[in-house]
Amino acid sequence: MADWFTLAAVFLLLSVAVALGRCWRGPGPVERIMAAQLAGTGVIGVAVVLGAARRDAAMLDAALIGTLLAAVAVTAFARSAAKPGDRPEGRG
Amino acid sequence: MTAAFDIILCLLILGTAGIALFVRDALAAIAFFIAFGNLLGLAWLGLDAVNVALAEIALGAGVTGVLLILARARLLALGDDATCADTSAWLRAGALAACAGFVLLLAAAVLSIPAESGLDRAVAPLMPGLGIENRVTGVLLAFRAYDTLLESFVLLGALVAVWSLAPAGVWPGRPADLGMADGPMRRVAGSFGRFLLPVALVMATYLVWAGSDVPGGAFQAGTVLAGGLMVSAIGGAIGLPRSDLPGLRVALVLGPLVFLLIGLAGTGFGGFLVYPQGLAKAAILAIEYSLALSIGATLALLVAGPNVIGPAGPAGGAGRNSGC
Repeated sequence: MADWFTLAAVFLLLSVAVALGRCWRGPGPVERIMAAQLAGTGVIGVAVVLGAARRDAAMLDAALIGTLLAAVAVTAFARSAAKPGDRPEGRG
Repeated sequence: MTAAFDIILCLLILGTAGIALFVRDALAAIAFFIAFGNLLGLAWLGLDAVNVALAEIALGAGVTGVLLILARARLLALGDDATCADTSAWLRAGALAACAGFVLLLAAAVLSIPAESGLDRAVAPLMPGLGIENRVTGVLLAFRAYDTLLESFVLLGALVAVWSLAPAGVWPGRPADLGMADGPMRRVAGSFGRFLLPVALVMATYLVWAGSDVPGGAFQAGTVLAGGLMVSAIGGAIGLPRSDLPGLRVALVLGPLVFLLIGLAGTGFGGFLVYPQGLAKAAILAIEYSLALSIGATLALLVAGPNVIGPAGPAGGAGRNSGC
């Protein structure tokens, strides 16, 4: 069973690598931060899977902390990137 | 399969670290720094060092990332283009040599440690006397408590240093408003902040309590609390307090003060920072809960920066923040 979890962890880590590729490509600040958030989500997934593979509930706490603080980073970015009248739907 | 996981993780850590160092665009560097912190946290999880992983994910990736994002925004607002300027080749070569030397020194120090000489063997027989099971907490709050006591004062000193950067005319004022400028976005962020702050409070309380027996502790809990406070401040759900607010001052010094008082009380039981027999867990929890509160308030105010609004400036709803 733990082997399957490790396999899933490797797969998730590869998806993090793809997200980091998008973070590198950009081109805009929004793409970079969203890609970094996607990578963060993948990392949290790996932490959950590792916790399941090793039967260590404390690793789920690490995942929870990562989830909570990722929200802070993206809120701080939205604050710094937003100008009055800059609507998401106005862009596309 | 485990080897494949380790190799991919190592490559990703080295790659994100390299990009964060060498990329010119400040935002790309910050994005890769956050990814690097998260991946480093995974590496600590992989080594079964969950205490370190919690600290790395919370402080390294979480709060430092927020600090860098807000610092970049402040630089842009001041007219700086936030890209790295060209430096002389000599300066770069010198920095490279200094860093390489330091890395070699660190590597030599790590490799010189014999594999079986952990602190674990020395600490394990002493743990039953404390009544807690997390050996990291035992070392931090009991066996080497003076280190942690000094660290808590360092954090307070850092805030005093940041506050001392405030211009003379705005003391005692408050830091620049963290809130979003745009009305609808502010309302979205505000309701999110009102949702996240209680969750962060519960999580922080849990982390301190769990820290006695499983990974967790005051620093991780304080960081989570600071995260909740920052989102609430960005959404305008709480205002940034005046720096002379009595409640705020109490929140900032409570942790170091309780730590110091319990430490001094220990002189009656055999020495400074000696906990009375049977009451060790209670003393450690009292210290950790007050430390978590102080660390949370201090980190949030460190991110907010020095005062720029004078005492007569626009009202920020400071009263609501007095209990933070």
